[in-house]
Amino acid sequence: MPVDVEHTSSPQEGAPFRKALDFFFTAADEASPGEKNPLTQPTTHLPEIIRALAEQFGEAILGVEEYAGEQTVLVEAQRIAEVCRFLKDEQGFRYLADAGGADRFADEERFEVFYNLVSFEKKKRIRLKIRVDEAALTAPTVTGVYRAANWNEREVYDMLGIRFEGHPDMRRMFMPEDFEYYPQRKEFPQLGIPGSLPLPPRTPEGPLQRDPFPTAHEGPTPKSYEEPPSQIAREA
Amino acid sequence: MSAASGFRTAEAESVFRFWPRHNEAIYERLESKHVWLEQARRGAANGADPLEHEMILNIGPQHPATHGVLRCVVKMDGETIDKSVLDIGYLHRGIEKLAEHKTYQEFMPYTDRMDYLSPYSNNVAWCLAVEKLAGIKAPERAQWLRMILCELARISSHLLWLGVGLMDAGAVSVFLWTFKGREDLYRIFDEVAGARFTVSHSRIGGLAADLTPEAFRLIRQFTDEFGKEIAGWEALLNRNRIWIDRNRNVGTLTREEAVEIGLTGPNLRASGEPYDIRRFEPYLFYGDVAFDVPTREEGDSLARYFVRLEEMKESLRIIRQCLERLPDGPIRADDAKRAYPSKDEVYYSMEGMIHDFLYTDEGVAPPKGAACYQAIESPKGELGWYLQSDGTGNPWRAKVNAPSFTNLQGLEHMMEGALVADAVILIGSIDPVMGEADK
Repeated sequence: MPVDVEHTSSPQEGAPFRKALDFFFTAADEASPGEKNPLTQPTTHLPEIIRALAEQFGEAILGVEEYAGEQTVLVEAQRIAEVCRFLKDEQGFRYLADAGGADRFADEERFEVFYNLVSFEKKKRIRLKIRVDEAALTAPTVTGVYRAANWNEREVYDMLGIRFEGHPDMRRMFMPEDFEYYPQRKEFPQLGIPGSLPLPPRTPEGPLQRDPFPTAHEGPTPKSYEEPPSQIAREA
Repeated sequence: MSAASGFRTAEAESVFRFWPRHNEAIYERLESKHVWLEQARRGAANGADPLEHEMILNIGPQHPATHGVLRCVVKMDGETIDKSVLDIGYLHRGIEKLAEHKTYQEFMPYTDRMDYLSPYSNNVAWCLAVEKLAGIKAPERAQWLRMILCELARISSHLLWLGVGLMDAGAVSVFLWTFKGREDLYRIFDEVAGARFTVSHSRIGGLAADLTPEAFRLIRQFTDEFGKEIAGWEALLNRNRIWIDRNRNVGTLTREEAVEIGLTGPNLRASGEPYDIRRFEPYLFYGDVAFDVPTREEGDSLARYFVRLEEMKESLRIIRQCLERLPDGPIRADDAKRAYPSKDEVYYSMEGMIHDFLYTDEGVAPPKGAACYQAIESPKGELGWYLQSDGTGNPWRAKVNAPSFTNLQGLEHMMEGALVADAVILIGSIDPVMGEADK
């Protein structure tokens, strides 16, 4: 029996249900009520696959969100690799197009990680999503299933600080290891944290330089070489 | 004055003076990386080889052949690369973080600076993503024009790839010829947008301005004449002994491997997987025009060359069809809450001016909780934006799926087992743009 994902609302049936998830983001209304989103693609409408997922994993499928004709499946974090394996082997989602994280800035389940999987044969695209608590800050890796997730997970770690358990190479992606913050988090200031990274020395043997930005406002920029005292500074 | 006292310095803990932890981590990774190749060779040599010449070489980030600021740390055995670790991020500007602090329209010019070889595609990718998020429909004429300009951007990007790729292989003259073609395209974009390079011409809900008759004349002239130039390059390169020898069987990936390591765009299609967003999820009017998706089975650098050359021809085909079928009409959605009003309205009516102010100040505000992903086929591959809205005028989260980032991950795999001289060819053949890969 086909299950209409949009209108099945009772959780008792065990079928996927669309529930108003009680978190900061709840798609309250459509952008243009009553109209179909002009950019909706048939590739993201996946009732059969969601039904298969619900049959296979039951409780681990926490819900389905829909916006602009795109269905997002919320999965229990600990079982994401299993779900990916099932989708890859049984449903033909061989290609991982994208994976990334977001900071919801909520008290519970603060971070989320999403995976964008593509099936060439079925012409479908599915988005899986897991939630990660700030206290734990770990999630299982899917690099065992999709090798392509390697750099994407490193990027999530770099930007949000979520560690992926079992990842073969959990280093930062863009920022150097010497950087101690996670810049994509909401509390990280847009201008960055001045002085958080050293700059190269000015002479081959000189010491590392500090970022000149903070000292430009509070005092003289540290120099790695001796220079004659400034005329202006003496007068002032 | 004691500078930098708070940082770990060289003497105490590390051989690296600058970013010690970062460099240590890279070299540790290089040592601990598990590569089948090395194992196979050890097994064959049965222990230590007295003639082995192991060496660690840093290629980049300041090296012209790395096409920007890509750093490849490779461990070589003689001339063969045993292991490679890529270090990117030298051009990291935190573009996703910036997006969170801009209105949707305000952020659009930043996208020019991502894949700066085809700025128009990036503009369109961003605008389409926002349009999907906010449910805005761009008028038909705007969509056809976007298609024309996106295809011109594709040709422009492929031209640079061809010129630079050949320069990597030692043929400098082709670089000058392809830049002649790029110059024609610059002239078109100058006429269209008023800027040669960073066009910023697409707007949410349409375009900034319609094209002038002169722009159409230039585009027609280009489409008529450019086919001949491609034919000339084919005559020069398709049977060129040096070019073929340098490219054939270099960086070969089977179809399964290419999918597994997530290559995208021409690199994926050169391995035989006909994945093209223009076919997979036809945006704009790509579903209505006739074009082929060139694919190859070999999966080596030569195949990637042929695929891109074919793509340029297909782009010309698409542009010709667009010019034929271009309808008359407005070029921006007529809805002042969702798109900029026309300048006529702004200059001559009070409402128009208020709308212009409001749109600049706050702009379009998609519903709270909206989230969507919209991808286009950029010259480098699948370029997508995943946007989340919190109901205000700035995106809550904007995640870009950058094709160069995706492809560079494949490069790390491709370089292992290649000759160090081929590394340069490989970087050229997967065509990364660091502005995009580093975000």
